[in-house]
Amino acid sequence: MPILQVDNLSKQFDGLVAVNDLSFSIESGEIRGLIGPNGCGKTTTMNMLAGLYRPTHGDVRYHGKSILKLPTHTRTAQGIMRTFQIPKLFSEMTVGENMMVPALATSTVKTPEFIEKLEHKSSEKLTFCKLDHVSHLLAKQLSGGQRMLLQIARGLMVEGLELFLMDEPFAGINQVTKETIMDAILEMNKDHGITFLIVSHEMPSVRRLCQTVSVMHEGSMISEGSIEEIANNPLVIEAYLGGQNAAS
Amino acid sequence: MTLLWGLGMNKSRRQFFMTIGVLAVIAALLPLELGEFYVHVVAIGFFYVMLAVSWNLLAGYAGQLSLAHHAFAAVGGYGSALLLQYGSEALKIDIPLWICIPFGAFVAGLVGYGLGSVCLNMRRIYLAVTTWAFAESFRLWVISEYEITRGDLGLSTELIFDTSDPTPFYYVFLAGTIFCLWVVFEIIRSPAGFYLRALRDDEEAAQAMGVDTVRWKRFAFTVSSAMAGFAGTLQAHYIGLLTPTPIKFNEMAIILIMVIAGGLRSFWGPALGAMFIQVVSEALRDYSEYRMVLFAVMVIIIMRVYREGLFGMLRDGMAKLPSLSASGST
Ligand SMILES: Nc1ncnc2c1ncn2[C@@H]1O[C@H](COP(=O)(O)OP(=O)(O)OP(=O)(O)O)[C@@H](O)[C@H]1O
Ligand SMILES: [Mg+2]
Repeated sequence: MPILQVDNLSKQFDGLVAVNDLSFSIESGEIRGLIGPNGCGKTTTMNMLAGLYRPTHGDVRYHGKSILKLPTHTRTAQGIMRTFQIPKLFSEMTVGENMMVPALATSTVKTPEFIEKLEHKSSEKLTFCKLDHVSHLLAKQLSGGQRMLLQIARGLMVEGLELFLMDEPFAGINQVTKETIMDAILEMNKDHGITFLIVSHEMPSVRRLCQTVSVMHEGSMISEGSIEEIANNPLVIEAYLGGQNAAS
Repeated sequence: MTLLWGLGMNKSRRQFFMTIGVLAVIAALLPLELGEFYVHVVAIGFFYVMLAVSWNLLAGYAGQLSLAHHAFAAVGGYGSALLLQYGSEALKIDIPLWICIPFGAFVAGLVGYGLGSVCLNMRRIYLAVTTWAFAESFRLWVISEYEITRGDLGLSTELIFDTSDPTPFYYVFLAGTIFCLWVVFEIIRSPAGFYLRALRDDEEAAQAMGVDTVRWKRFAFTVSSAMAGFAGTLQAHYIGLLTPTPIKFNEMAIILIMVIAGGLRSFWGPALGAMFIQVVSEALRDYSEYRMVLFAVMVIIIMRVYREGLFGMLRDGMAKLPSLSASGST
């Protein structure tokens, strides 16, 4: 059974059809890429998966069960985490405190011993994401790249994380940080079996991370396959303005 | 790590109890030095400390800029006084104040829960306008239902102590204030404190991180309203008369000024600001309306020059004194 199954999902914003009859599914343990031209509905899809938007039509199933009626926080408690295209942090809280929010919110135990364990886990993840030296800073004091890193590190604090949705984790990020993020994704995938859905315009990163890539255009899925397969699909070439090679 | 649980929690709790202990001893000795008038002034100061600290929980920590806090004090006061009067009549017994006072706080908490639920999806200005409208409606209700509330004539009610000496009341207000400070402290230092600050900074992100923002917003409204209601009941059974006047916006403006002057979001700031403004305000009583102008100017200066308010100034000033900072930097 796929971990995530999207059936005929649509989202309409007064007249504008942002997502149109979208269907796809992701197997547990996959790192799936989701690409498509600007405005094709990738973020809208993410928002529906995470529970921020209510779809106009269709269904989203997680481990075979519909999660459409579940509010965002319940989806998170069930192991679905996301990052935002424009990082959304708790700006007046320190980096360390940012890390503790999902950890506390999704753990049922809250004894001092357990919380100490969470704090330990937090410093581990911060080191893993190269943020340990800024853990005492307020989130608003971070650079753009650090913000993205913190979104990812924070997501890893969710108890029982299974599916990590990432919206443009590489946008505006320098090469070194990009490597850090990619290493983190690969390691979390290999060692903890976490499934990823990654929206990105960065073809080299997508090529390195994802075995399968889904391509959206004007709200619909137009192609799915390995990066070579989709790069040779005329529909995809057509979608990316005047036949520019999508994989270049 | 900068967090306050585990060993850190115990340390910060110890610090809190030490600070509050020292302040309580000083406050307990104060009536020996002050004349009756200033005992009264400081007792009312404690009333405002309770309002400021509880409003700071809602507005400063949870980011819900409610303008109905003064009305909740009145809801508590009227709740308690009306139960005392009509409940006692109906049941043909004298309902004791130790039931009426928690009842007033409970009613305020309940109404706070209701108002919080109405305002769940409102942000900033919408929330401010709605809560202000609620406060105004409550004031008009008190005026128009004069057969129940006595309207502008005022509803007289029983005193906690049968005396005109403010000193015993002073100690009740002091105890109430310590209780409120302790409750807010425990909330802020618990996971709930993290959730409230998270939803203040970014509600959508808080939801995505697993925080049930609906529940915690309601929690903030309920607890802070109950606390305001509690302060209001003490005030009612100290003054002995309830009128709709304190439900005017002026009163909310004073709470706002106190919190901002002391330092929004800091734990001790609003308490300090409330006592400071109350005492200065009484000392400048002869200047009546000009006091508000003075305070408004003060708020503008603080917002421009020093956002962290009086408490921040005090703390940073202390840090500059080497001897003090050496002993205080544990
Ligand atoms: N909240 C909203 N209200 C109205 N329209 C919206 C909203 N969110 C998105 N849209 C519209 O839906 C369409 C798809 O937007 P979306 O953000 O999903 O695109 P995207 O694929 O993520 O693009 P990008 O690559 O630029 O991030 C756009 O036309 C956008 O204007
Ligand atoms: Mg997008």
